[in-house]
Order: sequence, then structure tokens, then C-alpha cells
Amino acid sequence: MSALELSGIVKRFGEVLAVDGVSLSLEPGEVLALVGENGAGKSTLVSVACGLYPMDAGRVRAFGKDLPPGNPRAAIAAGLGAVYQHFMLIGPLTVWENAVLGREPRRLGFIDRRRAREEVAECARKFGLALEVDAHVDQLGVAAQQRVEIVKQLWRGARVLILDEPTALLSPPDSAQLLSTARSLASSGRSVLFISHKLREVLQVADRIAVLRHGRLVLVTPRSQTNAASLTTSMTSDPSRNSGTQYATPHANLDAAGQSWHSQLRIVSPNSDLRLEGKEIECESERGRPALRGVSFRIGRGEVLGIAGVDGNGQTELAEVVTGLRPASGRLALDGDTTFNRSPAAARAAGVVHLAEDRRRRALCLALSVEENFALGRQGSGPWARGRWIDFAGRRAKARELMAAFDVRPPDPLARAGALSGGNQQKLVAARELLGGPPPALVVAVHPSRGLDEAARRRVHDALRSARAAGSAVLLVSLDLDELRALSDRILVLFEGRAAGEAPPDAGDEQLGRMMLGQESARA
Amino acid sequence: MPDLRARIFAPAKDPLWGAALALLASLALSFAAIALSGRDAPAGFADLAAGAFDGRGPLGETAVKTAVLLLAGLSVAVAFAVGLFNIGAEGQLIWGALAAALVGRSQVPFVLLWSLLAAAAAGSLWALLAGWLKVRRGVHEVISTILLNWVAIHLVHGWLVAGPFAAPGSGAEVSVAGTARVVPAAWLPRPIAGSRLDAGFFLALAIAVAVWLFTTRTVRGFEWRAVGAGREAAEASGIPAGRRICEAMALSGALAGLAGALLILGTEHRYPGVFRTGYGFDGIAVALVGGGGVWGSALAAFVFGALRAGATRLQLVGIHPSFAELTQGLAVLLVAAPRIFQPLLARLRGRSAPIPAGDA
Repeated sequence: MSALELSGIVKRFGEVLAVDGVSLSLEPGEVLALVGENGAGKSTLVSVACGLYPMDAGRVRAFGKDLPPGNPRAAIAAGLGAVYQHFMLIGPLTVWENAVLGREPRRLGFIDRRRAREEVAECARKFGLALEVDAHVDQLGVAAQQRVEIVKQLWRGARVLILDEPTALLSPPDSAQLLSTARSLASSGRSVLFISHKLREVLQVADRIAVLRHGRLVLVTPRSQTNAASLTTSMTSDPSRNSGTQYATPHANLDAAGQSWHSQLRIVSPNSDLRLEGKEIECESERGRPALRGVSFRIGRGEVLGIAGVDGNGQTELAEVVTGLRPASGRLALDGDTTFNRSPAAARAAGVVHLAEDRRRRALCLALSVEENFALGRQGSGPWARGRWIDFAGRRAKARELMAAFDVRPPDPLARAGALSGGNQQKLVAARELLGGPPPALVVAVHPSRGLDEAARRRVHDALRSARAAGSAVLLVSLDLDELRALSDRILVLFEGRAAGEAPPDAGDEQLGRMMLGQESARA
Repeated sequence: MPDLRARIFAPAKDPLWGAALALLASLALSFAAIALSGRDAPAGFADLAAGAFDGRGPLGETAVKTAVLLLAGLSVAVAFAVGLFNIGAEGQLIWGALAAALVGRSQVPFVLLWSLLAAAAAGSLWALLAGWLKVRRGVHEVISTILLNWVAIHLVHGWLVAGPFAAPGSGAEVSVAGTARVVPAAWLPRPIAGSRLDAGFFLALAIAVAVWLFTTRTVRGFEWRAVGAGREAAEASGIPAGRRICEAMALSGALAGLAGALLILGTEHRYPGVFRTGYGFDGIAVALVGGGGVWGSALAAFVFGALRAGATRLQLVGIHPSFAELTQGLAVLLVAAPRIFQPLLARLRGRSAPIPAGDA
């Protein structure tokens, strides 16, 4: 008997056929990976399975029992538990309180705190999830918060765990930990549906791999009978996209590809005069703790400085300081101007563009339309405005141009930005920041391809490379070492708010990993 | 409760139609309620219509009330634009009314203009207090504006109008309590004989058009809406959000203050001893029914104004004139209810609204 069985699922949104007759089953003790590009229908399919959307046709069965369509409670009761990218946790509450919320064990009408606490702790122990159950969730890092979500589902009796892009926010060591958690859940007899863009991880963790393309299931294969190249081919219908083999090849080739690319561009732009210089930068975090403790760096014209580090070691704050969002001490100069970061407006005027880490909060006004969001940041100048008045025709034309350049879908400039999928929201932001105005002096890109599929990721990377070729300085913060290596001229590793060292773009996982954990000091 | 806030401020798909439907439905429900209570509903509604529309007098009455409601509604709608819920229109209106009444007593050239400007400035300053508390001290505007309402009411009614600014000899008779009368030059002109319709109606309409142009067509208006739709994103893109919030609160207060001035310079001609308008609070209803939009608010202001003008006649068929407020309340409920129940209804119908569930 399958743990989860989807048969002939069809789901439309208006005119759009999001899922087109997908049949798929998940066995107990199995990790099934679901891969596909942005908009391939992965999240929609999962939402149908979890009862968030009713389907237009088809059937969902869990452990041999039909689930009523569009009923999330029934799906939970049947043992389905989903962990989404956006955690559904309450910060000021403790780990165990979050886990039992809404299903608190009671005793004489009161919450049985002791039992709840013990059960949650026991559940975490049983599955090898390191968690301090009395810690407050807002004091935990992203990886630990994700473990809270997983424990929450397990404590509620989930036998099928659905992980939606679970490693998108995690550093390499945390990702590795998560993959082993997924494996151990499977070996305890649970089933895991693992949704991801990262083929390397998928090939590590999955027993079987299912590929969605344009809402159709195009391939289901055991891991042993496939490889990254053939998965990429089945994910993308457009054959021209397959020419880029960066993520479809084993690691060694990737580095080689990156190398050849670097050597090419060094010839194109040999000029490397200084654009951004930071000396002994210090600042505090949101909670008033020291976040940067004296970081120095230099970025030249046409140079990409990659920032590596385990999440929470000062990367976020560094990006905020450089974009004028966070005050700092020390000397920071862009083209010799030390006041450029006195405010976000001043930084923009000085030619700083920002692919923000939290795009939904920091980069987009979700209630406004796509074209209005394109205008954001340059709303007072052409082609967005004429004098003090909005230039509606100019704005529409420019928005269409940017949407086409990054293939933002749906191609409707009047759609609400909040209605776009996460990947398309990021495309909107990247298009606006990188192509929306004159060539930037400084590009600050934080996790620029998070949540993007291969095609979109390549667009963002190409745009960053064009900015570099046009002479911009690029500060690239990423948790994805492959991305850092593919784009950076140098990689600066941050550890506890200090520079742990600098590495060349061909540095290996191990070397970077040691520096990220503060085990290797700066090279001379 | 960011979710609830998002829902309240969410721009309705088409605010004008939403407002029209809610208003019609609330009238129908009121009609049904009257009929069920055994009274003659058709006759009541006929009287209501006569009181609001039959002839110059009633039409003028409707226009005067519409103008005040429209300005009060726009005041709330303008604050909505930057994401603030200004409950304080009543307090701002009271200060505006007092400023108009005081300046209007003086024998200076262009006294009407000065009175209006004084009213706008007074309302503006009172609202800026709340805006400043919000931006600098993080005080929630709902709390501060509610409290400032009471401060205004008691300062003005309990002290200023009864004491320092009381007309000489007032208090001897109840009927002359309040400030001295404003000079006739400060009265809003009444162009039509036999009707109380005054220039305030046209002023309100012109202001509505200007507010619409500003919020939807100008760069600054866009910046206000961006701050309302996502303050942090607006800030990160270089818009000084705190300044924009203060600007919007200043305009919001100015509009409420002008609503107060219309009451004084158009109808009362002095600040009376007893002056409980409630127009500031009705402004909230107008903006809510109007979906935060200018035209929706104008429609709501017109219907509520006509109801108020006509409601007095309902007593003839034994219906209390507070019937107007009942209908107004129903309209607010009908506008709010769909936004709260829409997801539920959609699910029942099997056509659920897309729920963002991570990256698709």
C-alpha cells in the first residue's frame, strides 16, 4: 500500500493549466524527489496533495484511503505533514510550544506542559534532530527553525513529510545535515517528498526522482539510473538551455568551466581600479549584538567579491551596511565617496543596486502591481515618470521590456506582485535592479538565485556577469558554494563578523568549509 | 495581526462597484427590516427619498451633508494610502471647526479663505502629533488617534468653548452657548435661494478630484502607496517612509479640519456649545465602504448624506431617525464581510483563491 498516491491530478488556475494529469505514488520508507523548473507545477501539486487546493480532476489517496479534495485537516489527519519555505512559527514562543500549538495535550483543562515538553523532546531525540526544546524560536537560526518545523510535523504524527525547497536557506553543512535527516526519516519507515532545484542534492538523497515539466510528469526514475545531465534535459524542454552544463556536470568540470570563464573575462576587463573599499567595518545586528567586528575588503572595477559563511555570521548586516540600511562605523567608500551609504536613497543615487535577501519584505510591495514594483526605487525619473507625474505609457513599455528580458510569468504588468511565484518575484527584482537603470556602480546581490530554476538562475548569473563586464563592483553573498565559485573573482569568508580569510574561486568545499567554521585563519 | 490589517487595507478589485453593491444591499436589508417590523416600508422609503431629493431644500440638505462626509471620508482614505488607520478624524475635525470659528470672527479681508486655511492647519497639526508618535516613537496610530480624540473633545468642549472663547454673555441662556458668531463674510456662500447648498459642496468635490489625481497620478502619490503597501521595501528603495507617513497624516488631518470648517462656516456660523457631530467617525465608514478609493468614498458619502437628510422624515411613519446610522452600519458590515469570508466561500464553491505556498 502506497503512503501517498496521486492519480490523474489536474489543476487549473483560470486559463492556466498548472498540473496536467499527474499520477505519482510515494512508498513507505522512500525519499521521492520532485524536480522541475519554476512554474512546472511542483508546489501546486503538493498543495493539492495537502488539501490546500481542490483539484479539477483526479484523486489523492493516503495509505489506501481517499482524501476529500480541498480539505487540509483531512490531509493532516491522514498523516501528511508539509514544511514550507516560509516557516509557520511563532517567534516569542518556545520550541515545544510551537510544536504542540493548536493540539496541546491537556490535563484538567490546562495545557499539560510537562507532557508536551517531554513528548516533543523525545520526538526530536528519536529522529536525531538537535533541538533545545525550551529555546525561544526567534533566537534560533534558520536551520534550527526548520528542525522545529520538522519536529512539529512528526509530533503530530506525520508519516509522509513534504519538504518544499528545504535547503534553499541553508548553508552547506546544514544542508548536509538535513539530507541525512531525510534519509533517517525514510529508514524509520516514513516517506519523504523532497522538492528541490538542486540536482546534486537530489541525486544524493532520493531513492526515486520525478521530473515535472509544464505541469506534466515527464520522468520517474530510480536514482541509480539517472544523472544530472539527463535530469536537466528532461526538466527543460528548450534544447538550447541544455548547452549550459554547469550544474549538470560533476564538480570538477564545473570548476573547469568557471575557470575558463574567468580567464576569458579577465582579458576583456583587465582594469581593476578600486571602487568599493571597506576598512574595519563594525556594526550591530537587529538585536543590538555585534554583527560585524572589523571587516576590511576591497572590490575593484569589474570585480566580483563573493562572501561565504554559515548563515548569521554577518553577511546580512554587511549587505545592509553597504546599501545604507544599517549604520556602521569604520571607513566605507564607493568611488572615493564615504557618505554614499548614509541612507538607502543616497546609496541608490550613488549607483548601488540591491538584490535583497528577504525579497518579499525588503524588495517588493506585494500589494502593488508588477509594473509599479518595477518603478520602485527609480519612480521619480524616466521612463517611469515625467516630472512629478507618473508616465503610464513609459512605465508600461519599460515593464514589458524587463519582464521579457527575464521571462517573468505571468507576463501581465498589472498582476499583483504578491500573486507571482517566489521564483518569478526574484526575477522581477533581478530585472529591476540589474537592467532597470543605468549600469550600476555597485551591485549587492544576496542569495540572488535562491528559489530559481536553472533557466532563471542562468539569467540572473548572466546579468551579474554583464554588470561586472560593464565595470560594476559586485558584492555577492551566497550560501551556495557552487554559485560563489561560478561568479566570484575572490571569495571572502566571514566567521562571527570577522574575515576568516580569502580564497580563490577554485577553492574546494573542504577548504571553504574549514574557513566557514573558523578553523582556518586568513591566508597571507 | 498583520493578516487582518492586510485584509482591511487590501485594495478591493473595483472599489466603486464594491461600494455600490454594499450600499444597495444595505438599503434592501433595511427595507426588509422595516417591513418585517410591521411598518409601512414603501411609505417610509418614499418619505426618505422626499426628504433627501424632493426640491431645492432637501437636495441642498443632502449636498451639505455629503460634502462633510466626503471630506471626512477622504481624510481616512488618505491615511489608508500610507497604511495608517486614522481613527482620529473626529478630533481633527473638532480642532478645524474651532479654528474656523475663531478666525471667522475677525474683520479682515478674505476672512473665509483664512478661516478655511486655519481649519486645515489646525486639523493637520493634531494629526501630525499622531504621525510623529508613530514614526519617532512607534506608537500605534489607532491607539494615539483614539486617545487624541478624547483630548480634543474635552479640551475644546469642556474648556475652550465654555471658557476662554465663549461669547460674551453666553451661558445665560442655553441657546447662545458657544463662541461668538462668525462675520457674514466668512459664511460659505449659498448660490441657490431656498436651499442650504453652499460653496462647501463644490470645494469638497474639487478636493476629491485633487486627491484622486495626487494619489493615482503623481510620483509622490505613488510613494505614499508604496509605503502603505510595504514600508520596508519602500524604505529600502530609497523612499523616506517616515516623512511620507507624516505628509499623509498632515493631509488627512487637513481634510478632517476642513470638514469641520464646512460645518461651522456653512451651517452653524459659530462653534456651538453643544457640538457632537460624529462626522469624523462616519468618515471611517465612508472610507471603508469606498474601499479606500476616492470615487467609492464619494458614492458612499452621497448615499449616507442623503440618508441623513431624509431620515428625519421617517418619524412620520414611526421609524426612529437613527435608521440612517443602522443602514450605514450594515453597509460597513457588508463591505467588510466579503473580505473576511471570501476565502471560505471560495473554498465551499470549490474555487479557492490561490494561496501562496512557497515557490512554484
